[in-house]
Amino acid sequence: MRFATDTGGTFTDLVIEDDTGGLALFKAPTNKLDPVAGVIRVLQDAADSRNQSLDQLLGTGEVFIHGTTHALNALITGNTARTALLTTAGHPDILTLREGGRVDPFDHATAYPASFIPPSLTLEVEERISAQGDVLTALRDEQVLELVEQLKQMEVEAISVCLLWSVVNPQHERQIGKLLARHLPDVPVTLSHELNPVLREYRRASSASIDAALKPTMTHYLGNLEQRLREAGFKGRVLVISSQGGLLDASEVAGAPIHVLNSGPSMAPVAGRAVTSDRNVIVADTGGTTYDLSVVHEGQIPLSRELWIGGPFVGHMTGFPSVDVKSIGSGGGSIARVDEGGVLHVGPQSQGSDPGPACYGKGGEEATLTDASLVLGYLDPGNFLGGKMHLDRKLANQAIGDCIAKPLGLSIAEAALSIVEVATEDMCQAIFDFSGSHGIDPEEAVLIGAGGAAGLNTVAVSRRLGCRKVIIPEVGATMSAVGALVTDISREFRAALMVSSERFDYEAVNRMLLDLSERCWRFIASAGSSDRESRIILSVEAHYENQAWDIVVPLPISSFNSAQDLQQLIDAFHREHYRLFAYSDEGSSIEISNWVSRVECVVGSDCMGRLSDREIVEIPSLRNCMFSGHGEVQASIYRWSALKPGQHYLGPAIIESPFTSVVIDPGIEFLRSDSGNVEVQC
Amino acid sequence: MLNRAAAIGIKLDGAKLAIVNARLEGVVRKMASTLLRSGRSGVLNRARDFSCCIVTHGNELLCAAESLPIHVLRGPDMMAASMVNYHSKLEAGDAFLHNCPYHGCSHPADHTILVPVVDGRGVHRYTVVAKAHQADIGNSQPTTYFGAARDVYEEGALIFPATRVQKNYQTIEDIVRICTARIRVPEQWLGDFKAMLGAARTGERALLALGAEYGWDYLEAFGSQWFDYSEARMEQAVNAMPNGRARASSTHDAISGVCETPITVSADVRVDNKLGHVHIDLRDNPDCQPNGLNVSEACVHTSAMIGLFNCLDSSVPKNAGSFRRIHLDLKENCIVGIPTHPHSCSAATTNVSDRIANAVQLAISGIGEGVGMAEIGANLPASRGVFSGVDPRSGKAYVNQVFLGSSGGAGNPHADGWLHYSHAGNGGMGYLDSIELAELYQPLYVRGRYLIPDTEGAGEYRGAPGKYVEIEVMADEVNVAYVTDGIQFPPQGVCGGEAAAGGRQYLKHADGEEQEIPAHGVLRLNRGQRLVSITSGGGGFGKPGSRNRSAVRRDVADGRISEQRARDVYGVEPDD
Repeated sequence: MRFATDTGGTFTDLVIEDDTGGLALFKAPTNKLDPVAGVIRVLQDAADSRNQSLDQLLGTGEVFIHGTTHALNALITGNTARTALLTTAGHPDILTLREGGRVDPFDHATAYPASFIPPSLTLEVEERISAQGDVLTALRDEQVLELVEQLKQMEVEAISVCLLWSVVNPQHERQIGKLLARHLPDVPVTLSHELNPVLREYRRASSASIDAALKPTMTHYLGNLEQRLREAGFKGRVLVISSQGGLLDASEVAGAPIHVLNSGPSMAPVAGRAVTSDRNVIVADTGGTTYDLSVVHEGQIPLSRELWIGGPFVGHMTGFPSVDVKSIGSGGGSIARVDEGGVLHVGPQSQGSDPGPACYGKGGEEATLTDASLVLGYLDPGNFLGGKMHLDRKLANQAIGDCIAKPLGLSIAEAALSIVEVATEDMCQAIFDFSGSHGIDPEEAVLIGAGGAAGLNTVAVSRRLGCRKVIIPEVGATMSAVGALVTDISREFRAALMVSSERFDYEAVNRMLLDLSERCWRFIASAGSSDRESRIILSVEAHYENQAWDIVVPLPISSFNSAQDLQQLIDAFHREHYRLFAYSDEGSSIEISNWVSRVECVVGSDCMGRLSDREIVEIPSLRNCMFSGHGEVQASIYRWSALKPGQHYLGPAIIESPFTSVVIDPGIEFLRSDSGNVEVQC
Repeated sequence: MLNRAAAIGIKLDGAKLAIVNARLEGVVRKMASTLLRSGRSGVLNRARDFSCCIVTHGNELLCAAESLPIHVLRGPDMMAASMVNYHSKLEAGDAFLHNCPYHGCSHPADHTILVPVVDGRGVHRYTVVAKAHQADIGNSQPTTYFGAARDVYEEGALIFPATRVQKNYQTIEDIVRICTARIRVPEQWLGDFKAMLGAARTGERALLALGAEYGWDYLEAFGSQWFDYSEARMEQAVNAMPNGRARASSTHDAISGVCETPITVSADVRVDNKLGHVHIDLRDNPDCQPNGLNVSEACVHTSAMIGLFNCLDSSVPKNAGSFRRIHLDLKENCIVGIPTHPHSCSAATTNVSDRIANAVQLAISGIGEGVGMAEIGANLPASRGVFSGVDPRSGKAYVNQVFLGSSGGAGNPHADGWLHYSHAGNGGMGYLDSIELAELYQPLYVRGRYLIPDTEGAGEYRGAPGKYVEIEVMADEVNVAYVTDGIQFPPQGVCGGEAAAGGRQYLKHADGEEQEIPAHGVLRLNRGQRLVSITSGGGGFGKPGSRNRSAVRRDVADGRISEQRARDVYGVEPDD
């Protein structure tokens, strides 16, 4: 038996996979002060529902997988270690200067962000290495020891080291690492070239500093989790979901906690890949506040280094590769408002869950997307979240009437439809931008709607985008936890070696590739899964000469022995560039800046399990619903679990489950697939 | 006008307006992302010195992607108008190259592709515009900001006043050959040229699809209502300003060999908050000069608007609708008016142009309490110079503008100055080069880059501090072209705020001796020589004594100001 948990901002999800592959889903409120208590609580709920003790339930488990927002929350709330940065003399402001850029040149109310580590905790090391790796100024141990004394005085709890060009010649960073280990043995240290070998010193310094700052708290958190699971009777292996779309042993994460910064969201595309084998997949996860997008292309999930904690240009860029998830401020709690000039906006401000939409009756007076859905008949006021919460339609009517219908001169129903249409358009624009940047045309993609609020307009989004097909997975409300059951233990190893296709250094490249593969094999040995399947996937980050931004290209070979080998890489680059940007430049040379090897050790299954708790068949009921272009019509209301696999149904319809409601527009055909998912062919 | 008449019957509600606007914004974002990701020169893909927008068939700016402000507020509309004037018949498949400062382009370095969007019946509906600053345009010197150019002839740029470069979607290779024969590093130019064409065609396809989906009349109705909406938003924003009239000036340094005396730009600004109008008079200013600092008509308009929009609610849409509430008085043959041929406008997006925005926002600060903005620092220090030569590591020639550091953000009623503001026309949108990439792409060794203490314009909201950038040359010969100011006249504070420290450029010899160098020139540096570029900070807003005390202490702790300065200027004891 395997357990997967995902601690989100509001709910802690649990999915239990039994030995036949059957799944059971559970949700419990997240305990913000003690997230592990929330995990134990949902496990207890599961044990209760099976008439087992917690000890009995956990005792049968082989693997416990954990997704956590603990690292992210620690960063957002500033609850991290007192961390110092050691950097090359003459460059103390790397974390302040960053990489420039701004969102709106006329927004003068937004202040320039403070650096992740304050200047008072930044120390300059007298040393310098050139772009070619030559030592221009040698490191002196005596100066480092002077800095050690300062660090002791500062009472720092963690240290990051980022020196210029350490990716080309790491000897100075290594020597500092040795001296720190000897003289400050209890203070955790992150060396930038080890953690994140990439050019651009801000990205490296940022990821090293974030990683170091998280080490004490994450070491404590994960140790506590494992200990309490053991105490509760779990004897198996504890794995943590990484931001790179894989799993890592808890001990590995404690050594480099930046790996779990975006732990939960990285699993959405992993689950999407298990839902369908289509070439292009767009996963849209709708929550209360945000709409999170990710993509899968030919089974590959793209990573990005530009993950911003706290918003583009005003937060901190981690600089560390993680599954590319784009988030916009659009969700069930998004606030609709009419501006001074009479134009409607939905989001990015959100009512969240407290006070929440007006219809929650918790004092919210603003009209939200959820209120609009209730007014339109898409939600059942008496059966929201399986009846856990009652929605007040009168309050929704009033909020929409006062805030939207009156200023726009529309009826309440028209205003509610307008809210859904504007939100839908914003979501579509976000998908166009995001999928476009990954070379995916939505018309050639399958859209997967995940998250509790996905069903409200995923069909509308997909019709507007012209997607071939929409899938709402039956386990879509716990997508991340389910994704964790179908992914592998994995880790990426990287090397920064700038090589031009014009002056290709075969020997250096082969030496580096050999080193990368050795590191993968060592990982496979330590991950202890040599008895099961494992694989190594190579790729490069490269660009045309004079371009500033890299694209990722799978490397078709594992060593370069001839011009033909090199040509294979060049051809693959041109093809990928063409796919992403609709042009390639065969006359230009190619510069490769980073080499990546990803190792994957199989622990789970390839395909997604089925829900094992089947409900009895019910006769559909009817409810009045409003649809754009159709006015008020009677829609069939189906229980999700009562839909017959393989049978075709026709909208207007609402499909309800304890976790979500799916809105099917009039005239749209849908079916429940053999895997239990709702599918709509557009 | 036929379309307008047909469109009269169509009325979009506030939701439909939002949706069509979102669609158009999607189009320009797609254009911009195509250009950003496929462009070649550092100016384009590292400094984001490019723009994409949609202009109506009536040559009015409808929608622009977020870009450097100096690029886009006015100019694309004027260029589209010149395209229409010069080419009586516009056909699908046409594309035009434009960089003529006498016909609406910002300055000759901003190569622009205009594509008329022509529907199936041959009717010109919109013009899509993609504009990108080039690393080189074939000037007589390897710089695109040629301050010393006496006229357009000495400047030497190839000038294209809406010249057809594609017909039937096929490139007219004659033009390409003219450019590649003249422009240094021609492959880089050709890469950017193709990227701009790609972006413009992307926009064209998207607009044709939108027209097919909604109908051209519906889009026409949207445009006219969206302009009305934007005008209403602008009116409301101006209603919230204090009423009155003020005059202020901003002065560009005298630079030996460029302008022998300082150039003072004055703006007379009148805010009528009842009618919701702003009137800016720039006529009382010097004539065009025999140098490259004359500001193009497009940049005069745009820079004046930047000064105004810097003082308004940032959510007011910036298009021809909101522009209706701005009235500008200009005169011919004026350095900040309508420049006449053959006066050079080589540096028209920066130097004197920045003085216009500054004069306008300083004047607005004088109209009433809690509005306006202090003076923004100057651009184009040597740390943002155009570097050229042959890289000894590869044996290849290069010409690149580097973006190693700028500063200049001015204090305003809401926040401290933005650290990398760059200059008034940039608004902080550009990226900053990483030290490692700069050293990889040019034979340079950046010995230091950091913020300099006590250089901020003190104020309740302080300006940004200046930056120190020290560059050693790692090749036998490296040329650096730059033209800066803000040395003689550092950025002023307003409403009791103080001036920032000015910029400075000098050579630092091995023995520590500092040798001043001119504020302008094409400097030839030899191996081992060290160039220091100090960028000017930004002016302060409001009295330093009113600054939040914990903000002062944080500045002390961060090393941005000394304890002495905290006491003397801000009246705060650091240890309290």
